[in-house]
Amino acid sequence: MTFTATLPAQIAALLPRLRRFARTITANRDDADDLVQIAIERVLNRSVQWEVGTRLDSWLFGVIKTAWVDEVRAHSRREAVFAPEPGVKPGVGPSADALQQRMTIQKAVSLLSEEQRLVIGLVLVDGLPYQEAAEVLEVPIGTLTSQLARAREALQGLLSDQARSAS
Amino acid sequence: MKFSDETLMAYADGELDPATRNAVERAIRADPTLAAKVRQHTAMRSNVFAAFGPIADEPVPPRLKAATRSGKVIQLNTARTLRAEAVPEKHRWSWAEWGGIAAALMVGVLAGGAAVIGLQQPAPLAVGADGALLAQGDLADALSTQPGGVASPGALVQVGASFEAKDGGYCRSFIMGSTAGLACRNGAGWTLPVTAKAGSTMPPLVLTAIDERIAGQTLDAEAEAAARGRGWTR
Repeated sequence: MTFTATLPAQIAALLPRLRRFARTITANRDDADDLVQIAIERVLNRSVQWEVGTRLDSWLFGVIKTAWVDEVRAHSRREAVFAPEPGVKPGVGPSADALQQRMTIQKAVSLLSEEQRLVIGLVLVDGLPYQEAAEVLEVPIGTLTSQLARAREALQGLLSDQARSAS
Repeated sequence: MKFSDETLMAYADGELDPATRNAVERAIRADPTLAAKVRQHTAMRSNVFAAFGPIADEPVPPRLKAATRSGKVIQLNTARTLRAEAVPEKHRWSWAEWGGIAAALMVGVLAGGAAVIGLQQPAPLAVGADGALLAQGDLADALSTQPGGVASPGALVQVGASFEAKDGGYCRSFIMGSTAGLACRNGAGWTLPVTAKAGSTMPPLVLTAIDERIAGQTLDAEAEAAARGRGWTR
């Protein structure tokens, strides 16, 4: 039995996580969805091959990262909009303060370097273990942990700056 | 034993082997500074996840679902052209801007002096037959005619944000004297589902009420004028 026939279905199930990861790379919602679409195209048109038995999610994050660097980054709109999302489930309403905090953090992440956004997207947002994240980024695990530490420090600095300037 | 910040982060991320994890836990129990550092790492992790997490709960755009169903994918340029030809994105006040507007409103109210509601005027609030609060007199007039988001020093009522509510009607927030509230169009009148004591900022109760009702984002000046021209009907 080959898994190839169910690959589109497996990818469809991963779409929410793929979209979320793409949005840590680029804050513009349309650019992020374009990025996911290009990655899917590359996979289903067989320009890249998934090895059955390896983790599909990690592998797809890697395709997204490569697609960003190769194609989408150069053509991105670069204009981010930090506002409440439409289509959020009704009846599950966060307080205005929580919304404000979400936007503050999203904006701070958008100010980080590309390398830092990638590592935060994989480890803190998607929750990948260090080993998986290192494989996605094709770096040794020691490099991953020091990139992660620098990213968190930079983020902490930005958030403290914002807290200071808001007071 | 001194632990590097990276080790403390790894602890907060659940990445340490059992022996190192136990060692860190012993150290945390003995050292409050260390404990605080770990708390900071844990807090950042949960805050960042909370900031981006809900994106995974958004409805997935049809074009992405379609892309997974077949190998054929709409050319990206086509998709971009379609978006560009759609109604151009008008300026929507973000929540950060709305916070600023609310602050500006309060400054306006305070600068203009406390609004005195004379006894000769019709009382601004009345209780309707079903127990709901209704706007009357000056308040009703302001809600129906006054532009929002513009501080008018000396005016009796300051109107804040206007928006389309999930139930299909229009709502507007306001501050009048020491009262802040939300008013929603009901036939030819305005009912007030929420009122609260106005402080130095718009009361959280009113902001929460807006959060719960708003469909999309607040109206910009043009959309507001159009709604006003239609008498706040849809």
